[in-house]
Amino acid sequence: MTKDKLSYKIAKVLKSALAATALPIFIIYIMIAKPDYTIMNNLAHVVLPVANFVGSVITWPIRAIGQSAQWIRETSLLRTENKELRAKLDAALSNQYSCKVAIEENQKLEKEIDVKRASPFKSVIADIQFDDSVFHHNTFLINRGKQAGLGHGMVVVSFDNRLVGTIIDCGSAFCRVRSLIDADTNIAIRITGSDVSGFLRGNGKNKSFISFFSDPQFVGRKGLSVVTSNISGVLPSGIYIGDMIDEKHIDVMRPNQLSRVMVLKYDNQDSYK
Amino acid sequence: MNNVVHFFKILWPFLITLILWRLSVSFWNPAGILALIPIFFYSFVKPVDWFPAFGLLICFLIDYRCNLPLFWTIMYCFFYAVNGFQNYIDLEHMNKNALYLFMVFVSVGFCMLTFTYLTWNGLLNNIWLFIWISILYTPITALDKWIKR
Repeated sequence: MTKDKLSYKIAKVLKSALAATALPIFIIYIMIAKPDYTIMNNLAHVVLPVANFVGSVITWPIRAIGQSAQWIRETSLLRTENKELRAKLDAALSNQYSCKVAIEENQKLEKEIDVKRASPFKSVIADIQFDDSVFHHNTFLINRGKQAGLGHGMVVVSFDNRLVGTIIDCGSAFCRVRSLIDADTNIAIRITGSDVSGFLRGNGKNKSFISFFSDPQFVGRKGLSVVTSNISGVLPSGIYIGDMIDEKHIDVMRPNQLSRVMVLKYDNQDSYK
Repeated sequence: MNNVVHFFKILWPFLITLILWRLSVSFWNPAGILALIPIFFYSFVKPVDWFPAFGLLICFLIDYRCNLPLFWTIMYCFFYAVNGFQNYIDLEHMNKNALYLFMVFVSVGFCMLTFTYLTWNGLLNNIWLFIWISILYTPITALDKWIKR
């Protein structure tokens, strides 16, 4: 149809007239059908699904590409989120470990304080600073000294009340302790459940041994318990040392098994040499 | 093959309109509002037979999804009537595919919608839509030339 033709012009005007006619119809409809717009909604209930279906069919490839792009983006986001969550989890776990350590340290401290209170002697808690095991000697340093009222010959025990050693030197803020496996150790002991006494000596190795029994007929055996004896008043009596593991040797507490000890303020009149 | 291509060329205005309406995404193409571009173009700038009826239908669907009772439908009818009754402006030979008139068409609609319920959020949203739809008018109408070739 040529635009210059009269029929074209008439058709155009007719179409416009049709559109112009539709205008008041629509406006009146909006005014009277408010708020339900029943006809309009019912018409949409038919037209919309049809248009949606046709539109969905023809836009399928575009939407597939869009969904793939979205999927890639979401995967990327999930990965980033996963990394962040992992970092947070690590931080939380680290925090949890710190809490666990603090709780366990607290429990240990409470236990140590209880032991200290239950001890018949006044006592001082000290940390083991250096374990000086060398050759056949085995001494260690603790971080309490004269300032804490410690002195030469005092007894060092563990928190389960086992003898660990005796102080052989005391500085103002530290003490040197001779452990039971030191070759110079020589302390009076007693076999529990008997009157048999003896002397405990160290040999620089992990086991101490009893060098002398007061009863020559006595034969040691595995499982017998050994405690300190108060002969000459060098050590307080009855402190558990360990169990015999054979005829002569005793399984004693070693400094490398401990991090903290308790020093009993037992006045031995400086008789421990 | 030639028949298929020819058929595709005839269907193209309807397809692009339906595609733009169907690919509605909030913010970028809310309720398929971008379909107004081919509706305007193929109704006034490059008129296609039977397209005005289809355009009316899509305007109706846009209105339905926008929850605007017959707003764009009435706007379209009004513009169609005015355009048909006048011969002062020839849209078919305007520069830039009558972009400025299209901007007038949508801006009138957006202004009316903005002042119906005036909020800062709505104002900014309508400004954004106006800019976006105006920007996309040129490439989408340029597709027509490419398809016709």
